[in-house]
Amino acid sequence: MAFYDGLFNAFGLREWCDASAGSAKMTMASLLAKTNPDAADDGPLFPFPSMDELYKACPSFPQSREFTAGVEEAFLNAKDVLKTVLDPLTQPLSWLLEGALFIFLAAPWWIVVPLILMFVWYVCRSVAVTTFVTVSFAFLAFIDHLDAALQTLAIIAVCTGICIILGVPVGIAMAKSNRFQRSLLPLLDLLQTLPTFVYLIPLIFLFSVTEPKLYGIAIIVYAIVPVIRLTDLGIRLVDQDVVEAANAFGMSSRQKLFGIELPLALPNIMAGVNQTIMMSLAMVVIASLVSAPGLGVLVLRGIRNLELGVGLIAGLGIVLLAVILDRVSKAAIARVSSDQTFK
Amino acid sequence: MVNSPKIEIRNLYKIFGSDPKTALEKVKAGMGKEALLNDTGHVLGLQNISIDIHESAITVVMGLSGSGKSTLIRHINRLIEPTDGQVLIDGEDALLLDQDELRDKRRTDMSMVFQKFALLPHRTVLDNSALPLEVRGVSKSERHAEAQVWINRVGLGGFEKHYPYQLSGGMQQRVGLARALTSNSDIMLMDEAFSALDPLIRSDMQRLLLELHVELKKTIIFITHDLDEALRLADHLVILKDGAVVQQGDPQSILLTPSDPYIEAFVSDINRARVLRVRSVMTPMDKKSKYAGDVSPSDTLESLIARSEGDTSSKFRVLDGEEPIGQIDMQDLVKALVPRVTEAGQQHL
Repeated sequence: MAFYDGLFNAFGLREWCDASAGSAKMTMASLLAKTNPDAADDGPLFPFPSMDELYKACPSFPQSREFTAGVEEAFLNAKDVLKTVLDPLTQPLSWLLEGALFIFLAAPWWIVVPLILMFVWYVCRSVAVTTFVTVSFAFLAFIDHLDAALQTLAIIAVCTGICIILGVPVGIAMAKSNRFQRSLLPLLDLLQTLPTFVYLIPLIFLFSVTEPKLYGIAIIVYAIVPVIRLTDLGIRLVDQDVVEAANAFGMSSRQKLFGIELPLALPNIMAGVNQTIMMSLAMVVIASLVSAPGLGVLVLRGIRNLELGVGLIAGLGIVLLAVILDRVSKAAIARVSSDQTFK
Repeated sequence: MVNSPKIEIRNLYKIFGSDPKTALEKVKAGMGKEALLNDTGHVLGLQNISIDIHESAITVVMGLSGSGKSTLIRHINRLIEPTDGQVLIDGEDALLLDQDELRDKRRTDMSMVFQKFALLPHRTVLDNSALPLEVRGVSKSERHAEAQVWINRVGLGGFEKHYPYQLSGGMQQRVGLARALTSNSDIMLMDEAFSALDPLIRSDMQRLLLELHVELKKTIIFITHDLDEALRLADHLVILKDGAVVQQGDPQSILLTPSDPYIEAFVSDINRARVLRVRSVMTPMDKKSKYAGDVSPSDTLESLIARSEGDTSSKFRVLDGEEPIGQIDMQDLVKALVPRVTEAGQQHL
């Protein structure tokens, strides 16, 4: 009947196959075939030996939907253990995010915005960039999007901070050990290529959707890659002649790291931070699906309710934030680089 | 102590490759550099180097690129680990030091000047010069005061607050020199220190180094590919070729009696009149001669030619202080100016 019947017969497995005949769940296809036996389709002439195709020939063989169910079950079994370990470990992230969101919103605008502008001036010392940021904030406030923008900014600030705290040491370790670099690179590649929605699926099972750490983790995991990669690269690119001189004068590894390697790798690390910020922003919009507040929520509302204007204005706000973050971090890189040589 | 060398290098071998120990046995059994590379893929860096480096002298190691001279100097402070052999510093085997002891040795006993300067680009001239003391944990005011002294001494007073990229190559290497001097170590390693500079600046720097040497009496190991520079600076000259010592000794004697066609070819382009000194050419006194004048043993032949106004028949008496120690015949002098080149040496030209 089925194409691969002969295969199982040849191995003498017919008995094992038929032992469980009829006990398996019915599929949609077989249900349709039952109601309309004439339309039964024999399928292609030479079907690929897939799980479903082999199941047709041998009812004891697992179907591919059992494979999917198996993966799910394995994850659900591991869930409790994972949750006991990860929950307390990531709880500070929830507190940080809640705290940052609270401070950004509870403080009056005439304190928060000037503080942000002072910070901008401090990191980039550029009149043009500071003016641009001021005008952008004024515009966002004028169209009543300031609170949402500040929420988005608060989440980005917390997540980027944690990315730097975790990513720079990992990058340093990668630069110091070729073996560690080789073993970590595939993971970084995976994180960079995994579709952003796929991150959210296991996280939703692990944590409650109302917890800020859910989107916090998603953003950090997605955005941490560039800062790791560019720290690694930056340290590896430090002029070997200078490192040799440091060795010749008897510098310890610690003195080399803080006195030479990190300062000289700083422009590269900052470029990584710039990328991390931009990726956090991209993720924070998607994270509004799992209760992240901010401009993303408005975009989502625009899509869900077909409120075109709301979605477009929120989108414009995100673009504005993106330009602000990019310009400020690039200006900071330029300032750091000009303190060093231009070779 | 009977003037034992400050640094003794004994039977040093360096082989680059995946399995240097096996390759070492082959080299000791007489395999050459090219055969080793073809058979095993290992590069013979240094073979059987033995050099005595005396205290307060300038030892110049000269060779063309690829001769292993930069590899050799890095063995003294163990930036490169040898495959076999010994490096004794003050009679103590530097290869037996563990990492901490080695670091201490590098901090206190030796300093290094690099061909490409290797200054810290994000630090000022003052901070760069103070680096060796910073590494040792000396307080900021103290190390800056010490660095300032040496910055002034190398002629960079007023540039303390500049960054390296704001300085010319010659000035950057003065910073490199100041940095080495600030460490106040007995041994100074100079790896092609002046090779990247243009000729006039280089000659200035050589003069500065000789002045400092007279004053400070440091043990200097100087690497160069430039024979003029080597002859100007060297108290003891070592010539390397393909990782082996071809000839070593007093530069004057190497010039007059090259032991190898390779060296003959090397020294034949030199302005011998300017390099050779009276003491290298003088002969014992014979009582009968009449002398046109008195000269010092350290005068160059060039100055003597000028004094004799080209008269090859005259003779001069050589006085060391007040004491006559020999005579110099202008005919001998002229002969000494002609480089001795054998048939084999011709082929190297």
